[in-house]
Amino acid sequence: MRKPDDSIALNQRQGRREVFRDQRVLLLVLIVVISVVVGLVNPRFFAVNNLLAIFEAIAVGGVLTMSMAMLLLSGGLDLSIGNIMILAGCTISMLLTGGTMAASYAPESAIQGTEWVKQGVTNVPVAIIIGFAVAIGCGALNGFVVAKSRCTPLIITLGMSSVYYGFALLLTGGQFMSFDMAFEPLRVLKIAQIIPVTLLIFIGLVIFAWMLVNRTKFGRRIVAIGGNEENAFLSGIKVDKYKILTYMMSGIFCGIACILYASRLDSITAGAGTGYELTALSAAIIGGVTFDGGKGTIIGAFLGMVFMGLIANAMNILSIDPYVQVSVSGAIVVTAVVISNLDNIRRR
Amino acid sequence: MNEKPVIEMIDIVKTFPGVKALNNMSVDLYPGEIHCLVGENGAGKSTLMKVLSGAYRPDSGKIIINGKEYNHMTAALSRELGINIIYQENLLVPWMNIVENIFIGQEITKNGFVDFTSEYKKAKELCDSIHLDLNLNKTVNKLSVAEQQYVKIIKALSTQPRVLIMDEPTSMFNVEDAGKVLEMVEHIAKNGVGVLYISHFLKEVKQIAGRITVIRDGAPIRTYDNSKKDVDLDRVVSDMVGREASMFYEKEFHAIGEKSFEVVDLKITPDGPPVNFFIKKGEILGMFGMVGSGRTEIANAIVGASRKYGGKIIYNGEELKINSPVDSINYRIAYITEDRQHRGLMLNAPIAENLSVVGLQTRIKGAFINIRNIIPLLKGVIEGLQIKMASPMQAAKNLSGGNQQKVVLGKWLFTDSDIFIFDEPTRGIDVNAKSEFYKIMTRLASEGKSILMISSDMPELISMSDRIAVVRKGAITAILEKEDISENSIIRHALEVKKDEKAG
Repeated sequence: MRKPDDSIALNQRQGRREVFRDQRVLLLVLIVVISVVVGLVNPRFFAVNNLLAIFEAIAVGGVLTMSMAMLLLSGGLDLSIGNIMILAGCTISMLLTGGTMAASYAPESAIQGTEWVKQGVTNVPVAIIIGFAVAIGCGALNGFVVAKSRCTPLIITLGMSSVYYGFALLLTGGQFMSFDMAFEPLRVLKIAQIIPVTLLIFIGLVIFAWMLVNRTKFGRRIVAIGGNEENAFLSGIKVDKYKILTYMMSGIFCGIACILYASRLDSITAGAGTGYELTALSAAIIGGVTFDGGKGTIIGAFLGMVFMGLIANAMNILSIDPYVQVSVSGAIVVTAVVISNLDNIRRR
Repeated sequence: MNEKPVIEMIDIVKTFPGVKALNNMSVDLYPGEIHCLVGENGAGKSTLMKVLSGAYRPDSGKIIINGKEYNHMTAALSRELGINIIYQENLLVPWMNIVENIFIGQEITKNGFVDFTSEYKKAKELCDSIHLDLNLNKTVNKLSVAEQQYVKIIKALSTQPRVLIMDEPTSMFNVEDAGKVLEMVEHIAKNGVGVLYISHFLKEVKQIAGRITVIRDGAPIRTYDNSKKDVDLDRVVSDMVGREASMFYEKEFHAIGEKSFEVVDLKITPDGPPVNFFIKKGEILGMFGMVGSGRTEIANAIVGASRKYGGKIIYNGEELKINSPVDSINYRIAYITEDRQHRGLMLNAPIAENLSVVGLQTRIKGAFINIRNIIPLLKGVIEGLQIKMASPMQAAKNLSGGNQQKVVLGKWLFTDSDIFIFDEPTRGIDVNAKSEFYKIMTRLASEGKSILMISSDMPELISMSDRIAVVRKGAITAILEKEDISENSIIRHALEVKKDEKAG
């Protein structure tokens, strides 16, 4: 550093340029541009109901995205969050209904049968508490194995995902289960008769996740672990403890996602969790959270999820063939990630 | 040397944010010549190399190769023109054998299949051409570090280069292995290849160089003719540093207090020798040892980053129970690691985050934290260390090595420690930053802190240490008092075996 003043000026200039390279800014611009374009093609897009529908549609995945983003920031990863959510859901369902299948899937004879009455084991609050306990327990187990075995979380949680799926299958006998409409009130509850409470829960959780990561010691420590684990260890952070706590926190998020899920659909099946973990992962990565850990933001991940929800909604509005939609949304994920990585490509 | 040079670089300029890495750099190389480049860290040697390899595009200047003029190289062009660079990093595939490694990317094939017989023959020829005897069927992971270096050299030769650039090829070796590499280099040059040889080891340079060019601040200072191997190394050294006797830092005197920190019978392996030493208040205990002698392991064991197999750590008469860095931090022991990139910094995180990461455990109370509120608290540390940066929210990776190192130290100053363990505190940082570091260490000592300074930088050790512990094979072979400290005595104890051999 022969001329420190020069370098400072340069760094500031770089800083200004970096604003435009910030994934969050890029995403916001994209979201606005796509919205305008879609809105011009089909004005129905801008209907309040449609905009709310976008957020309602992403609420479950969005909560899981917060969970995944937090894990990625801590240098972790959990591919079992979808199945943890479903296992918690199946548990709640079993406790509420005692094993009654969703009405629409139950055999007709069963509906007509007289003994096929509700046999709920517990009331709703207790069921929810137990469901959360299951989700947190799964998170703790994941965290414990990842922290203590020092294996890569990718493989550990991939395996655990199967374990939880199996539990859910056992619990439900592979059948479609119902929540006995217990969460229906949550679904219809609206503030000022327009803003759904589930949407507020989702937004509240995003704010909570942001506070947790950016404004608490817990958050700063897990990000420090993600940024450089050895450095965190030498700096006196109890690395294993915080890893386990992060996965447990992720379990809580899964529990919340499960409640939102139950309020949207009254039926659940062991296989319903598949794909959620990858949606969450894609959203977080589109939002600029990296696999390396320590880099990225909660807001970015949130925008990533909004972006994905927006694309899905836009394709519906534009009446694109649903089968085509699947491939298109995949291609968009890849494109977004490649674009965000252009910097690294150029550097080589 | 009436021939034309194979490479001529003229007035090359390359700037990076804040630094002119090459400032009208000119250098030339003749076929069959060994031209050595010497200079301190950061003098511009590696930038020069990267310009030649095509990794960097110079801002101005020209490169003339075989009479043709170029503004810049590209990786492909550089290879095509016969320029081959042997980097310090190991780029061999560990589970392939030597022959396979040599021919990666340029396999000899017959009918579409790899022809191992021809490859083996060709590799053998290459070895013979530089009088090297290697079992070519060995896999690389079974080779010593020195042998791997030979393989890298053979691999480079297999591309039939006209110019070979070597970057510190002997830095990790003992004298014998280094000698072998030097011999190889001489053979290579005899075969007509121009060798640009970059090294810190001036004695080696004197032994092999035809010419020696001293580089400082990105510019050539002077070129010495060494065809008679008679260059005056003292003059080379003074050209490198720019001022006479600047190698030694003048440490201010201050009083040294009572014995405060003590390591008793510490074992770093189950059946290793016990390690014993103490540090007084206000004292700097230097610790010297060759790479792999166990210095860093001793430091790790003290702070609880690796397992102790016995022994006690005592501070002010009280035994410290240290099982992890969590404990050592509670006992106010600071460990400034040698590996700042991997162990000391979160490179992507802002400076402020890096500086406060230890403080999260000690100084910052409560569950909530806002980094913007922490920044004012960091001001003292930042100003005390004179960290040069755009803002505390700048990512640590954008700092120069010296400033990064200051950040690594800064996080320990923020928590106010009593015992400082510095592991290679000034490795890879420039001269100015070094002397700033020495001032800081002296200041800490004068405040009554106890300092352990692990270092392989002789001038640094000799000028900074009040006593020096010499480590060999995980054991302390000597603790030298101030009056016994000399380069000679340190090296003698560090290489104890040789002394024994002579005695026996």
